[in-house]
Amino acid sequence: MADIVLGTTARRGGARRHWARYRAGYLFVLPAFLLYAVFMIYPLVQSIYLSFTDWNGVEATKNFVGLANYRRLFGDALLRVSLGHTLIWVVVGTIGPLVIGLLLAVLLWRRPRGFTLFRTAFFMPQVLSSVVIAIVWGWIYNPVFGILNRGLDSVGLDGLSRGWLGDPSLALYAVLVAAIWAETGFVFVVFLAGLQNVSKDLLEAATVDGANAWQRFRNVTVPQLANVVNVVTALLLIGGFSVFDVVFAMTQGGPANATEVIATYTYKEAFTQNRIGYAATLSLVITVISLVASVAFIRLRERGES
Amino acid sequence: MATTSAPAGAKRVPGRAAWSRPRGGAVGVGVVRYLVLIAFLVVFLLPFLWIWSSAFKTSIEIARDPFALPSALRWENLQRAWTVGRFDRYIWNSVIYCTAIVAGVVALSCLAGYALALLPLPRRNAILVLFLLGLMVPFQSVMIPLYYLLRDIHLLETYWAFIVPGIALRLPFGIFLMRGFFRGLPPELADAARLDGANEWAVFRQVMLPLATPGLATLVVFQFMFTWNQFLMPLVFVQRDELRPVSLGTMFFFGRYTADRGMIAAGVTIAMLPVVLLYLVLQRRFIEGITAGALKT
Repeated sequence: MADIVLGTTARRGGARRHWARYRAGYLFVLPAFLLYAVFMIYPLVQSIYLSFTDWNGVEATKNFVGLANYRRLFGDALLRVSLGHTLIWVVVGTIGPLVIGLLLAVLLWRRPRGFTLFRTAFFMPQVLSSVVIAIVWGWIYNPVFGILNRGLDSVGLDGLSRGWLGDPSLALYAVLVAAIWAETGFVFVVFLAGLQNVSKDLLEAATVDGANAWQRFRNVTVPQLANVVNVVTALLLIGGFSVFDVVFAMTQGGPANATEVIATYTYKEAFTQNRIGYAATLSLVITVISLVASVAFIRLRERGES
Repeated sequence: MATTSAPAGAKRVPGRAAWSRPRGGAVGVGVVRYLVLIAFLVVFLLPFLWIWSSAFKTSIEIARDPFALPSALRWENLQRAWTVGRFDRYIWNSVIYCTAIVAGVVALSCLAGYALALLPLPRRNAILVLFLLGLMVPFQSVMIPLYYLLRDIHLLETYWAFIVPGIALRLPFGIFLMRGFFRGLPPELADAARLDGANEWAVFRQVMLPLATPGLATLVVFQFMFTWNQFLMPLVFVQRDELRPVSLGTMFFFGRYTADRGMIAAGVTIAMLPVVLLYLVLQRRFIEGITAGALKT
């Protein structure tokens, strides 16, 4: 109410009144806005501009080449391969943490004995950098001294031992397992928080009505968690489309492009091949996919809340 | 619950009743539950224990039996990783980056988040949408032009190459988080202070900001962890080894000493120790921070 009244007086009073009224707001937002505009908005626009050039990062002039880079996307075999891997990554890398995280959260829901120990341990990989994760898991998979092969040998499954990261048909999944190991703790704690809001009265009512444990879980618990599930799924999806760190640190996209995802491909085009124009076009592909996924998620959440 | 005709189990604590009704089954469920939990405990903790124990082993010991404890507590690996492996430098750099970036993100996000939540502002929605855009697009969207921008203004190959964009690109997250916290505060408090003659800065600094301390702590912890572990941005913008943060330094260290397994394990241990220790001490803050970050922005 006060807002509206003051708003009209400010308009009548002209620029001076406008400034007097909004001065604090402007000054508070300005530092963040300037920094953000120069180092985020401007480069974002610049990305679009570069995608219409064949610039190599060195020459002073940038040749305008129209839609050539965009046409090239369609014939790019390596882009198709990278997109395929990214899709596998997004699907497996979302479902894995989601299922394991939910399972662990449900098992610890009633805070059984040892709750704190389990929670501490399950979340711990989440604080590691992807380089640390990459080195540790690179060791685990090491064909000579890795604990995975040693473990398999010791239970008589030596037939399964192999160089996990060196095998093109397995490497992507090997990296995914490491990523799921690291990501599950995050999903787990968010679900644990979500479960605190699930109504125990409803669960008891369902029990009285004769619902078994699975029916209670499926029909009473999960629907109440729907919002949390949406949020977590969206965050995993959006992060998955632009995944770079753990893949690059572990395999650099190899062997033979077996773990190439769109972000590692873009990085190489830009900073090892110096095809800046085309790399900018590739980065826009990631941008568009992320934007579409994010907007879809926001719509979904708004629908869930209304 | 109060009626006498309630079934036998109903007198128990309400929360328990639903779970422990079939007595025999409940014990079985309990055992299975702990078997699963302990299996995952091993999966999540074993890699840590393996690396930490390997930091005290010789390379030969590591290859001989990965599960054995070190034959003696050797500190040489850690010492060599610290000096020869340059972890002294990398850790120091990360401290510089984290201090500057966390301070920058927190200060600017508090100011802007407060204004966008509680101060009169024209075109508030347009500003919000612009910041929301930054929350939705990944770093790759701006990575390439940003590199050349930093080069042109001569920030590349200085600490600023990571600090400045490190702050700028995290503002959307910080602003939305802080805006959420400020919106949860009663605006009447600010109005009361204004009636007492306080100016807008005093209202913010002395009345509202202290009330947002939980949100502030969340942002600090979250941003610290993010910056400490950030990889792609310094990989692209920081090429001189003396300027590398620990996340990046670890990768190049690994490349230099691949065969020296004892030292590798020691380096990885040093790289993860600060953040793991901080996590163990401030565990609740970490978990609350992550949860709030996911659910409140």
